[in-house]
Amino acid sequence: MRETARRVRQRRAEFGRRVPSNVRWLIFCAVLLAIPFIPFFTDAWIQMFFFVGLYVVLGLGLNVVVGFAGLLDLGYVAFFAAGAYTLGILGSPGSAIDLQLSFWAILPLGILVGAVFGILLGLPVLPLRGDYLAIVTLGFGEIIRLFLVNRDDLTNGSQGISAIPHPALPLIGHIESFTEWYFFILVLAVVVAVVTSRLRDARIGRAWEAIREDEDVAAAMGIDTVKYKLMAFSTGAAIGGLGGVIYASHIGFINPAAFSLQVSIDVIALVIIGGMGSTPGVVVGSFILVGIPRILLLKETGDFLGRFNWLRDAINHGVDAINSLSPWNLGSLPPANVWGTEIADDTRFIIFGALLVAIMVLRPSGLLPSRRRQMEFEHPTEAEVSPKATLA
Amino acid sequence: MLVADNVGMQFQGLSALSEVSLRVPAGEIRGLIGPNGAGKTTFFNCVTGFYRPTSGSLSLDGRRIDGLHAHEISVLGVSRTFQNIRLFSNMTALENVLVGRHAKISVGGAEVASDRTRSGHRIVDALHTLPGIPRALGRGLAEVAGAVSRPPQVRTAEREAITKSRELLTAVGLAGRENVVARNLPYGDQRRLEIARALATEPKLLLLDEPTAGMNPQESAAMVALIRRIRDEFQTTVILIEHQMRVVMGACERITVLDYGRKISEGTPAEIQRDTKVIEAYLGTRAIAGQPHAAP
Repeated sequence: MRETARRVRQRRAEFGRRVPSNVRWLIFCAVLLAIPFIPFFTDAWIQMFFFVGLYVVLGLGLNVVVGFAGLLDLGYVAFFAAGAYTLGILGSPGSAIDLQLSFWAILPLGILVGAVFGILLGLPVLPLRGDYLAIVTLGFGEIIRLFLVNRDDLTNGSQGISAIPHPALPLIGHIESFTEWYFFILVLAVVVAVVTSRLRDARIGRAWEAIREDEDVAAAMGIDTVKYKLMAFSTGAAIGGLGGVIYASHIGFINPAAFSLQVSIDVIALVIIGGMGSTPGVVVGSFILVGIPRILLLKETGDFLGRFNWLRDAINHGVDAINSLSPWNLGSLPPANVWGTEIADDTRFIIFGALLVAIMVLRPSGLLPSRRRQMEFEHPTEAEVSPKATLA
Repeated sequence: MLVADNVGMQFQGLSALSEVSLRVPAGEIRGLIGPNGAGKTTFFNCVTGFYRPTSGSLSLDGRRIDGLHAHEISVLGVSRTFQNIRLFSNMTALENVLVGRHAKISVGGAEVASDRTRSGHRIVDALHTLPGIPRALGRGLAEVAGAVSRPPQVRTAEREAITKSRELLTAVGLAGRENVVARNLPYGDQRRLEIARALATEPKLLLLDEPTAGMNPQESAAMVALIRRIRDEFQTTVILIEHQMRVVMGACERITVLDYGRKISEGTPAEIQRDTKVIEAYLGTRAIAGQPHAAP
């Protein structure tokens, strides 16, 4: 296993030497731009890519909190919900506060509401570290969801809000088709990626990194750790709010069920699998965790898998033979064309869990780690090996 | 410069420091010695705001600093190194020093030093910070906007910080090691890097916690030379915790001795070497009768 990983890395390094990085980026961008024009990709495929893009945006936002500042936030869905409901409540006709503002007027408000929620969550949890922080943020996510269910005068409870406006653009008009949505999220993901990588490279990013490495020493170097942790929370939350606005607008209907703990777990899992603190990692993680399950649900995948009914028959014959000999009934495999949906619906979390465990064991820094995270995992610091010496 | 007045630090009944008073005039290199557990590092932690002293007061150039946050004290001009090296180990040497420059890099609007004064009451202190919240929000937003849009003044500030950091690395003898990740530096270089990082905050008072721990005599001598040079070049006051007597006697102008959290002696190296109380603290009471000339 280790041997294979080494060889893969070697081959990748060779590829890197042959093709300079800016050329690789150009190829990557060209492929992304071409996707909607490839006839193979039906609308369902394009929508899958849209959701991958949406989770890239969310992942990049959470990456600021978890990857840059090292604050484990398990309640990220709260900010996603805050953005989505800002658009729903202010934009939908017939909602509680029916201002019927346009999408573009509400977008900055959604980002702002997300940021404010980030500060609201950040203030009480700032003295907490590590596991304690994770538990409290987890609770915060649930509180927001229950609030959405129970304040039905404002949120219409579990009935949800419908008729949420789509963004309008000059020349194109309202963004409606899947291709238009795809390009919309592509542009946003690129903008968010540029914003977060610029933050990482600036003084603020260095301060976050110092806090992640050693909070006490960061303070001794003149960094107001409270302020910078709040800034990490609110920046991440603002991006979560942005994602929420886009999601609500794309789906056109929101209810509290869409903002379950599962969203938080998906986003944190994709950040971890991709590699904390790494932008390409978020893209890869998002494709694996959000893209692949959706591909499995596609009709084309079912048609393709349908060809393997002979395999299913063969296995079922074998299983029947065992069933007739043993006291247990092992059942039988379903038709091959529903294998994809079965996996995506029922077995998905088992596979995710196994994947997470495998990544933690084989490649703890993630698939495409940032340079620094990789070092952290390959050479644990003294503090991680031996109990941390106290200050006194 | 630094005035400590009856400083006491209690941890749930355990008294780590009691009634420690000392004055360190500007430009002095002061040694702080004492047996293990005497409270030397605790004293550093009080001065740098890691701990809030339970009694007494600390002031820097006439300004109360006890009860301020660590980052506020840092901005006022106190910086330190650590007994067990605490570098940002996954960052490069240059980045470590750049973190030290943090408060000196202006990003969209001048960073103002804290004007908070200590009232002694937690809630009153918290209320005092309230009016500053809108200003802090504004500065936070300006910093994010500056980092994203990178206007010329931000880029210039960053460039200047890098130049200054390189100078500091050269000053401590780490030229050419800028891009080495801190954890990969040899032990002695890590100690030097900690000093460079501490100097990056432009301290008036530099606290060095056992800078020569684990060094051989040659390395220790080089460290003594470096400390003296730093004092002269950067016009800082230095307080030095040290166990190697050769270093203390060679580097320090005056020495303060702590034992069981109390100050037991203070004076020039020569005076300290003769002080029976000090010998007693280090070697026990019988030693005085047996070996009257034993140096601590």
